[in-house]
Amino acid sequence: MLTEIIDVIISGMINGSVYALMAVGLTLIYGVSKAFNFAYGSFYSMGGYLAFLVFGFAFLHNYLIVFCLAAPILFFFGYIIEKLLVAPLRKRDDWEVKVMMITLGMALFLDNSFQVVFGARMKSLPSILEGSFEAGEFILSYQDVVIFILSISGILTFRWFLNNTRTGMSVRAVAQNPAGAQIVGIPKEFVFSATFAISTVMVGMGGILLAQKYFVTPDGGWDILVKSWVITAFGGMGSIKGSLYAAFIVGMLEAFVGWQFGMTWTLIALFAVLLTTLVIRPQGLMGKRG
Amino acid sequence: MLKLRNVTKKFGELTAVNNLSFEVSQGQVFGIAGPNGAGKSTLYNLISGLYSFEGSILFNNKDISGLQPHKIAKLGISRTFQIPQTFPSLTIEKSIGVGNYFGSRDGFEPSYVDRIIDFVNLTDKRKKLTGQLNLLDKKMLMIGAALATKPAILMLDEPMAGSNAKEIKSLMELIKRINQDMGITIIIIEHFMKVLTELTERLLIIETGTEICCGDPVEVTSDPRVIECYLGDSHD
Repeated sequence: MLTEIIDVIISGMINGSVYALMAVGLTLIYGVSKAFNFAYGSFYSMGGYLAFLVFGFAFLHNYLIVFCLAAPILFFFGYIIEKLLVAPLRKRDDWEVKVMMITLGMALFLDNSFQVVFGARMKSLPSILEGSFEAGEFILSYQDVVIFILSISGILTFRWFLNNTRTGMSVRAVAQNPAGAQIVGIPKEFVFSATFAISTVMVGMGGILLAQKYFVTPDGGWDILVKSWVITAFGGMGSIKGSLYAAFIVGMLEAFVGWQFGMTWTLIALFAVLLTTLVIRPQGLMGKRG
Repeated sequence: MLKLRNVTKKFGELTAVNNLSFEVSQGQVFGIAGPNGAGKSTLYNLISGLYSFEGSILFNNKDISGLQPHKIAKLGISRTFQIPQTFPSLTIEKSIGVGNYFGSRDGFEPSYVDRIIDFVNLTDKRKKLTGQLNLLDKKMLMIGAALATKPAILMLDEPMAGSNAKEIKSLMELIKRINQDMGITIIIIEHFMKVLTELTERLLIIETGTEICCGDPVEVTSDPRVIECYLGDSHD
C-alpha cells in the first residue's frame, strides 16, 4: 500500500511538472496578449511528431539532437503563425473571438495534416534513459526522473529568461501594462509574437517528453489543450505562479483518481475541482479579481 | 518642432478630433485645455501613435503619422496618462530602467536612471514595488519612466488630477525643472487654469475636438468663447 502511494505521488509529480511546463506557456500567451490559443494542443502533437521524424534518421538517434532541432523549428513556426494569422486580427473589432476561431481552424488543419502525413496509428518514441532504480517493491524509472528534471529545468530557464533578459523584461512590462510599455519604447507586437513562439516551444517540448510515455497520435493534443486550460483557469488566468501550483495539483489529482477509480474518471474529477474552485473563487487560485 | 496638420479622428459617427492644426516650438511649455470629452487625451493618443488618424503629424519635419508607438517613443516623444500607468510587480528602479532600456536612443545607462530617480524624488523608495506606491509617487514614477527615454517632448495628461495644493506645487516645480534644467519641450493637458496660466507660454482650447482658440494663456482664458464653452456662463 505504501509503495503504491509513493508510486502515485511520484507519477503525479512527474506529470505535474510537464503540465506545468505546458500550462505556463498557455498562461504566458493569455497573460501577455489576452488571446485564447486553441491550436495549443496541436503544437504539443507537433513536438511529438518532430521527435518521431528526427528519430527516423539513424544518425540523429539522440534526444539532445531532437531538442536542439525541435526548439528552433517550434519557435519559428509559432512566430510565423502569430505574425500571419493572429496579429492581423488584433486590429479588428472582437479580435478575441476571431483569434479563437482561427486557432481552432489551425488545430483542425494541423491534426488532419498529421493524420495524412503520419497515419492514424500511434507512434512511439524511445525512452530518453533506459533502466530503473529498484528498492524492494518500489521502482522508479530513470526516464521519469529525466522527464521531471527536464521539465523543471525548462520552467526555471523560463523564469530566468523573464527576470534577466531584455526580452523577458519587455514581456513582463507588456503583460502588466501594454499601453504603458509601448510609450516607453517596447515593441508590443514583437512581444506578442515572441511569447506565442516561446509558448509553442514549451508545449512542443512537453509533447516530446510525454510522447515517450503516452505515444503520439494526430488528435492527442486535445486532451492536453483541455488540461492546460483547466490548469490555467484553476491557477488564475494569466498568473504564472498560479499555473505552477495548479499543474502539480492536477498532476496529483489525476494520479490519485486514476489509481483509486480508473483513468476514465480523471477528467471528470478535474472538471469537478475546477468548477468547485471557480464557484468559491472565480478568479482562480492566484488570479486577480477582474 | 511638432506640427499637426488637419488632424481628424473619428470613432464611427463620433468625431473626437476635428481638423486640428497647431505647432509647438522647441523648449516651449504648451497647454491644452477643454471640457471633459473635448478630445484632449485622444489627441495625445494620436500623437503617441496609439490610434490611427487622418491628416499628418510632423516631428522635427519628419512625418510620424502611422508610426508604431514604440518607434515614436524612440524618436523622442514621451507621455504620461491621466491614470498612472505603471508596472505593479516591478520596483521603481526597474520601472524607470525599462524606460531607459527600451526608449532611449543611447541605450541603457544606469547612471542616467539613478539621475532620473533622484530628479523625481524617489531615491528613498527605489526598491519599492510600484504597486505599493501612493498616487503622487505613481505620478512621479510615470514621469520618471517617461524622462528615462530621454525625450525631446514630454506630453503630460492632467498631472495635477487628484492632487492637493502642496502636491500641485511640487508637481509644478518639477515640470518647470524638466523644461528649464533638462531642456525638454512640454505639452500639458490640465483643468487647473492657475497651473496653465503660470506654466504655459501658449494655450490651446478645444471643444468636441475643434479648436476654439489658441494663443497667450491670459488672453485665451479671458476670451468670451472660452468662458462660455469651458469656464461656464459669466454672471453678467
